[in-house]
Amino acid sequence: MVERVVEDNAVRLFVYRFFVEHGRPPMPVETASALQVSSAEVEASLRRLADQHLLVLAPGTPYVWMANPLCALPSPFRVRARDRDWYGVCIWDALGVIAMLGSDGTVTTTCPDCAEPLVIDVRDDELYAPDDRCVVHYLVPAASWWDDIGFN
Amino acid sequence: MLAFRSEAHLDRWLDDRGHTRGATLSVAQQWELARIWYRDRMSPDYRRRSPAEAEAVFASIGLTGSFWRLT
Repeated sequence: MVERVVEDNAVRLFVYRFFVEHGRPPMPVETASALQVSSAEVEASLRRLADQHLLVLAPGTPYVWMANPLCALPSPFRVRARDRDWYGVCIWDALGVIAMLGSDGTVTTTCPDCAEPLVIDVRDDELYAPDDRCVVHYLVPAASWWDDIGFN
Repeated sequence: MLAFRSEAHLDRWLDDRGHTRGATLSVAQQWELARIWYRDRMSPDYRRRSPAEAEAVFASIGLTGSFWRLT
């Protein structure tokens, strides 16, 4: 049991490091090649990680959708950091990308009501928001976030 | 978790969709939560927070009450 947990953490770490290096998550076969295990073992590990909410797979596939805060698909929350565009699935994750990378960065999103761009900068760990009136809204209570992690 | 230009924009968006207001954070609170939540995510020692640990993080930036309850 302990050995399996270690392997899952190796897969988790590889996914994050690959994602940060390449700007996309690895395919299972790429993880398998790097860790010298079979693709089937990697896919089983990814499913266990998803069951533990340590990453999110695209529905019905072994492909990583989110290694939070990173999101493999474009979203309304674009992040510019380390000379690359990233996406978070929500404003929390978009700012989380900057926090995780430990870099300066810029989050660009739009107000869902009026479609005006909202640009939030982080420089030297300090936040520069466009307007003091800007507000973040959580629609779904914390206990229900994982009921549908793509909608919060 | 969406960002709005102001409370007035949020209220209009909620009304348009018939949604009930959930919880609101300042952008500064959201940045603090993101920093605490994600800064160690690439560490080999990272492990998922327990519900009680997550609630403690929320409380540390003033997020308390039933909306933030996990236990």
